[in-house]
Amino acid sequence: MTELSLRATGRARRRLLANRVAEGGALLAAVAALAVLGILVWSVFSRGLDAFSLDFFTKGPAAFGQTGGGIAPAIAGSALLIAIATAMALPIGILTAIYVSEFAPRAIARNVRLWLDVLSGFPSIVIGIFVFALMVKTKIPLFDVGHHQSALAGGFALAVIMLPLVARSTMEVLALVPSHLREASYALGVSKWQTVLRVILPTAFGGILTGTTLAVARAAGETAPLLFACFLAGQTVDWNPTHSVSSIPIVIFTYSEAPDPQSHAQAWAAAFVLIAFVLVTSLTARILLDRSRRKLGVGR
Amino acid sequence: MAAASIPTGRLERTRRLGDRVGDGALYGLTALAAAVGLAIVAAIVWRVADGAWPAIRAYHLGFLWHDEWNPVTSRFGARDFVVGTIVTSFGAILLSAPLSIAVALFLSELAPPAIRGPVGTLIELLAAVPSVVVGLWGIYVLAPFAAHHVAPLLGGGRTESTIFAAILVLAIMTIPITSSICRELFTGVPTELEEGSIALGATRWEMVRTVVIPSVRGGVVAAIILGLGRALGEAIAVTQVIGNFIPLKGLFDPGDTLASRLANQFAGAGTNIQAASLIYLGLILLVVTFVTNLAARRVVTRFTRE
Amino acid sequence: MTETKEMNQMKRGLALIASALVALLAVSAAGAKSSKSTDTTITGAGSSLVAPLVSQWVQPVGHAFGYTLQYSSVGSGAGIAAITARTVDFGASDAPLTPDQAAACKGCVQIPWALSATTLSYNVPGTPNDLHLTGPVIAGMFLGRITSWNDPQIQKLNPKVTLPDLKITPVFRSDGSGDTYAFTDYLSRVSPAWKSKVGNATAVQFPAGVGGKGNPGVAGAIANTSGAIGYISVAYALSNHLRVAAIRNAGGYFATPGLRGIAAAAATVKAVPSNNEMHIVDPPKGAKLAYPLSTFTYVILPQRSAHAAELRKLVFWALTQGQATGYTSKLVFAQMPKVVLVAAEKALKTLAS
Repeated sequence: MTELSLRATGRARRRLLANRVAEGGALLAAVAALAVLGILVWSVFSRGLDAFSLDFFTKGPAAFGQTGGGIAPAIAGSALLIAIATAMALPIGILTAIYVSEFAPRAIARNVRLWLDVLSGFPSIVIGIFVFALMVKTKIPLFDVGHHQSALAGGFALAVIMLPLVARSTMEVLALVPSHLREASYALGVSKWQTVLRVILPTAFGGILTGTTLAVARAAGETAPLLFACFLAGQTVDWNPTHSVSSIPIVIFTYSEAPDPQSHAQAWAAAFVLIAFVLVTSLTARILLDRSRRKLGVGR
Repeated sequence: MAAASIPTGRLERTRRLGDRVGDGALYGLTALAAAVGLAIVAAIVWRVADGAWPAIRAYHLGFLWHDEWNPVTSRFGARDFVVGTIVTSFGAILLSAPLSIAVALFLSELAPPAIRGPVGTLIELLAAVPSVVVGLWGIYVLAPFAAHHVAPLLGGGRTESTIFAAILVLAIMTIPITSSICRELFTGVPTELEEGSIALGATRWEMVRTVVIPSVRGGVVAAIILGLGRALGEAIAVTQVIGNFIPLKGLFDPGDTLASRLANQFAGAGTNIQAASLIYLGLILLVVTFVTNLAARRVVTRFTRE
Repeated sequence: MTETKEMNQMKRGLALIASALVALLAVSAAGAKSSKSTDTTITGAGSSLVAPLVSQWVQPVGHAFGYTLQYSSVGSGAGIAAITARTVDFGASDAPLTPDQAAACKGCVQIPWALSATTLSYNVPGTPNDLHLTGPVIAGMFLGRITSWNDPQIQKLNPKVTLPDLKITPVFRSDGSGDTYAFTDYLSRVSPAWKSKVGNATAVQFPAGVGGKGNPGVAGAIANTSGAIGYISVAYALSNHLRVAAIRNAGGYFATPGLRGIAAAAATVKAVPSNNEMHIVDPPKGAKLAYPLSTFTYVILPQRSAHAAELRKLVFWALTQGQATGYTSKLVFAQMPKVVLVAAEKALKTLAS
């Protein structure tokens, strides 16, 4: 009487072994990738914390050869740049999305989407060249803009980066707005613009906010387009949008290549501030997204 | 239909007029906004081509394979930057694509459900880490580690600013992008298909190989191409670690890319022809990323049609 | 209505985040000395060599004239480009304008306003300060022909030093730079091979090494790379405690980049040409103590501009009070020869609004 074994042999054994190897590989890869990303964030947080002080948030950079100083002008500058960029990108992005979801014929809608994708695929440094040629090199007769670097030029460059993100995410939310809401509104004799303003936009509010927040997070960390549009900067907080202002990414970029340990410490601390801002906004955006999706009845 | 119409008073007529004006205004505004986006794309292409024009006229297409970048003699060519861009981007993708797919598979098929969500979110958040921060980390943590502990094993020297370092930095930047798209794709594969495969006696790996991956192949390719697009255009993190040097020598020597050279020299171009040549580099980059993104779209549409 | 409740919660959360951000901003804004007494800001950009000195000037100039002086250290090449495009009020460069650049700048005048030097700094463990080098040896290193620190050519110059078997990594400026101009100007004069293969400009195609952005970038690369040698302005070498080489001048003396060596090189200027362009690298034998990599650095001004009055005041101040040793000496900027100061003040008079 031969004993029946439950142990796999031959082909089955090989298959199980392959499975084990593949699973192990995936686990290993996942752990490795997560570890690297974890080390990155950890380095920034642990090294950044060292340079934190009240001065770091309230003072301008120290004079050459002196210690201390901070990045207050860069914090203010980044806030100004983002405010300008959002003020430009948000209305245009939302209106574009409304056009595509409520008005445009299918073929045109597809084209607009295509162009937005193309725009978001452009390298940000090329957008920097574009803004340089458009607003820094050339004279603009309006206000006191063209012909020099300015927060307006920098904000415009960031707006070009934000626009496709805002428009695409708004389109996605508008597509999720239940069609019965639209139909009910029309059936009651409400005109299209009223429907859009009173029914569709309020319903999609959360989603639009999410898209905007994600776009802000992205724009806050962009360095390349600012190199040519808004790089020269003073040592003090400056809220004038026609002046060129300092910004956190540019500070990290310049300090990262400096030789002295003090600049390195400040670069890490500035990176801490930036990464914290970006992670918090992204996380907030995700929470908002979950909520608005639940509200729209879309399960995860 | 006249009988069915409601008597229209003046108020009603005003309202209708208001509606028509409102509808028209909204239509006009939104169409205008959509046109602005298009105009920006056109303006970018036009401005960049226009800025590069003096260099295009001077060097024609030969610029692409000329290997000098000499501001003294005003002889400029893009070859080593094109090669540098291709080597760093494809090198990065070669490293990050398998890793990203593995991470995505782990999160969608293997990991205990309780950790799938949080870890997935974490990876998506990491896609938002700005490149200048990755570059900072690259200079002080990754590049030294790679130069002293990894490169020697692979036969490289101990130089810190190298093409190899740039590849690693780009790989790390693209992992969150590619893996979070892949995760969504894998999670979207119908459970019935997966369960059917398991019920037929397949192991999990066989199920992944024969059911999950084939059903989203196009999407995975598109996700990888999107990562590639990001790597091709990255200027900041690359210039922080690559050493900004041509001619290219080897993987473990300094090099340069299109975007990185632009970031370094555009603000301080000594002559008009140097500035135009730099913008010519930008134009090449623009064309390359444009084609890459169209390719990704093409793959996705073909895949969704299937 | 749970929906409205959620909405409200959401709004409250947002308000919280927003107010936190506003609070942070308010703290930054309030704390920083945003002393905007007047609205006039004079912006300048360019040379990183002169940047430490200009940053010393900002406060006294603000007190003296009541406007804000804003200077960005972006490199001489970028400074020339910025003033040519008139995106700033003045440019600063250690390299004189080339004839083409002068023509493109349309009515710009360059005025020497400080005098300093470019060092060769190195990071070689176990070596002393003042390692002896000669022009041809430096050219050999940057041409990639001398590749190891214990090369006989270096050893011969430093018989008492034990040089390690360490790879030489030349570090150069990746952006357009006045230091690159002075350095390649010098190498082109002492090495025919350099002159024919590479040449002299604010940016050249280096045959070997790694590039760093700005003086800080090069200093950083030297500090972080064992075996590195690079050229940086003397103020940056000192503030970062880098070792600095002594370079043999035409008279055969190994000169260090100190105030005496720089002044001796500048003393070779007997007359200033009408465009103020002066070359004091590799000075002739007669200047015994001269440091051979000294350089004037220039401010580049538009002859016609809305801010001509302010610019004239600023540069006049820089040429007089700004040269006080309290500002200059600790940063190793030497006193300019009288003949140069006279020419500079004469050029300044041509400015008009």
